[in-house]
Amino acid sequence: MGETATILTEVFFQTLNYWWVIVPTIFLGLIVGGIPGFSAANTIIILMPLTLAMDLETGIVFMVSLYCSARMGAGIPAILVNIPGTAGAAATPLDGYPMAKAGKGQQALSISFVASCIGGLLTTLIALATMPILARVGFYMHSVEMIVVMLFGISLIASIAAQDMLKGLIAGFFGLMIGSIGTDVVYATPRGTMGFLELYDGVPLIPALVGLFAVSEAFIIIEKRVIISEDAEPKHPNWQDTIEGAVTALKRWWHIIWTSIIGLAIGVVPGAGASIASFVAYQQSRTYSKTPERYGTGHPEGLIAPESANNGVTSGTLVPLLVLGIPGGATAAIMLVVMQFHGVSFGPALFENQPKVGYGMFMAMAVSYLIMFLTILPLSRYMSHVTTIPTIYLAPLIISFTLVGGFVPREYMFDMYLALAFGVIGYIARRTGYHVAAILIGVILGPLLERYFLLALKKSDGDVFVLFSSTLGNILWVALFMSLILPVFFNWRRNRRSAEVPAE
Amino acid sequence: MKRLDRRNFLKTTAAAGGMALAAPGIARAAGYPERNINVIIPTREGGGADRNFRAFTSIWKEKLGAEFEPGFFPGASGRVGYEVYMGKNEPDAYSLIFGNMGPEVLNWAMQPPESFDVADYIYFGRVDTDPGCLFVGAESKLQTLDDIIAAGKERKLNVGTSRMAHPASIGLLSLGEVTGAQFNLIPLSGGKNTVAGAVTGEVDFSVLTSGSVIAAGDAVKTLLVFGENRVGEALDNAPSMNDVYGTDLPEMLSSRAFGIHKKAVDDHPDRFEVLTRTFKESFDDPALLEAYVAQKGTPEYLNYGGVEECEAFKQAMLELGAKYKPLLTGA
Repeated sequence: MGETATILTEVFFQTLNYWWVIVPTIFLGLIVGGIPGFSAANTIIILMPLTLAMDLETGIVFMVSLYCSARMGAGIPAILVNIPGTAGAAATPLDGYPMAKAGKGQQALSISFVASCIGGLLTTLIALATMPILARVGFYMHSVEMIVVMLFGISLIASIAAQDMLKGLIAGFFGLMIGSIGTDVVYATPRGTMGFLELYDGVPLIPALVGLFAVSEAFIIIEKRVIISEDAEPKHPNWQDTIEGAVTALKRWWHIIWTSIIGLAIGVVPGAGASIASFVAYQQSRTYSKTPERYGTGHPEGLIAPESANNGVTSGTLVPLLVLGIPGGATAAIMLVVMQFHGVSFGPALFENQPKVGYGMFMAMAVSYLIMFLTILPLSRYMSHVTTIPTIYLAPLIISFTLVGGFVPREYMFDMYLALAFGVIGYIARRTGYHVAAILIGVILGPLLERYFLLALKKSDGDVFVLFSSTLGNILWVALFMSLILPVFFNWRRNRRSAEVPAE
Repeated sequence: MKRLDRRNFLKTTAAAGGMALAAPGIARAAGYPERNINVIIPTREGGGADRNFRAFTSIWKEKLGAEFEPGFFPGASGRVGYEVYMGKNEPDAYSLIFGNMGPEVLNWAMQPPESFDVADYIYFGRVDTDPGCLFVGAESKLQTLDDIIAAGKERKLNVGTSRMAHPASIGLLSLGEVTGAQFNLIPLSGGKNTVAGAVTGEVDFSVLTSGSVIAAGDAVKTLLVFGENRVGEALDNAPSMNDVYGTDLPEMLSSRAFGIHKKAVDDHPDRFEVLTRTFKESFDDPALLEAYVAQKGTPEYLNYGGVEECEAFKQAMLELGAKYKPLLTGA
């Protein structure tokens, strides 16, 4: 224990010495995270010759700080212009963008930064302290359990649909239908591809994401002068709003903690990712909120939940990588390649043979979040200017960026057309009262649910009772049932109480 | 200076024309390649194929005298890349494909596309051979091959595989045939998930190409190789299936190779000769091994193969694919 503490202290101060790597990397991460289609993973690939040329410590610090800051960066355009930079930020605009439209973009950014930094830092420390236990989570979360986790996220469709159940469910099922396009996960039989080779691997997420949210939003805002509502008071950016946002987030410290832990728990499961975590955290946050009706209208807790959770995933994905040698996500997989190049052997022996490398990754993450907190928070004052840019300039910019973003991940022209097609679908949906978020949840989580479901059935030779075959799975089923029933119960109790209060 | 009169002019042009007509191939091949070679890679940038490609072409380009320009077309287990290559690239020997022969030929055998036939392209240059293997998680209850066979006779074991149509899957099905053990293949979508499946207990054990298994280190233990174990301890000195069971199963390989349109070979034999010759010369250059190792390749797996070796392997995969198609497609 004493030896570990010494190593941790030593590694912490060593990492601080790399501030000159961390600070510029944070800004690079914010940019690549904010541009749809770019991510920490493909940036590390592009910069791989540079990364491989660095010494091991510098390489670790660079990759980890890029990973953290890109995750945070993805939330910025999601809040300001309704463009989630990655699927992990897809739940961020649900409440972030309404805040921006209400003239509270600066507060929203501030809330997002505080929730991300604290959520990320906290889960890093928890991961560091409980690594051997957390590494076991993947041993219990198999396909059956993941089906239930997916259903937590998908049940958000019903919550979103609360105002108009029929339209909400139609939108959700439409999304699930789009999500089922592509080859099936077992026998690779193409379904619904309409002959397009580009759809064999399913509908690519980024074009769907940017199309449904951003392109359709560009079509909408072009009808207005600026993004913020006309009844919202346009204000000159000031420090007071930044502080107000930070205080709003800090007052909800408990909310940050438990939603970031959801992210951590999902992040340690190999193959699960930030998109699942952010929707599940949002759904849970709404379920146990005293004011669920405020979600979707610019409620701070609806912004805190996905941002804390997706940064919790960041530290979570490192756990199976370091302890088991299994990368928890795409970026962790690329880190594995780079570090193996430097002769690092992952797995159980890592902390015995090269403890400074193992602890160094977590310390790099902790220090990155600390430095981000200090460097990024003040920027919210300037970033929020975006919402006051006349839409005549902003809308074309959004469309250009999103089309490029749609193109980048696979470099197919087809994906740009697909983004536009989704933009039209999103525009029609908005104009006719169908919620685009419900469509998107189906598109993102549908294929994952189907994958786990088919794998579970394949493992059991088609026996559907496999869904209730594990103890943990059954506990999760009960939790899911409770989270669906409790809001109805809470609502009933609230209505009864308000009915009991005599009218004045 | 000799004056160029009409007689001399006619003699000279006739001779030049005659030479050009007599040896057009030589004349054209001497100019080949006149521009860069496009290479379709049917997997993602940054992956194993990309690294392998960069290592090999860093040497080959010197021999050939032209740069190689990769284009990445991932999707549908390689099918997108092949459809793009066969459908949108001119068969002029200026475009090649760099594929993984084992899984991609099997993929064709499972679902032959209407747009091209597997005989419409040939592989001519094999870069490496990475055999499939069977491995368990470090904490698995099944720690020996005997454990697996005994358990497989009592109940159907769930076995992770990267995808159904994969050489390692065929290796496993052959093992089931030989031993009478029952296996249920579970496609876990990629090497990373296949390793994770075995380690975390999602499946009883997994089969995969050995390069990915070696990279997983102590988290896994290899018990059997569907081919020759060329790396010994790195694969826990696991024996070959043919040695253990006396079978004559061809090596179940992930084997990356350059391919070319058959039409390009027929129309431009001279260009094809330049490609195959310089490809072979690259293998004779000691710098190739250095480049391969620098890109994290396993040196024992660097293994030259020409048209004949590639064709034999392709045919073996097609035969095995046809044999096991009902099990691999659920048909």
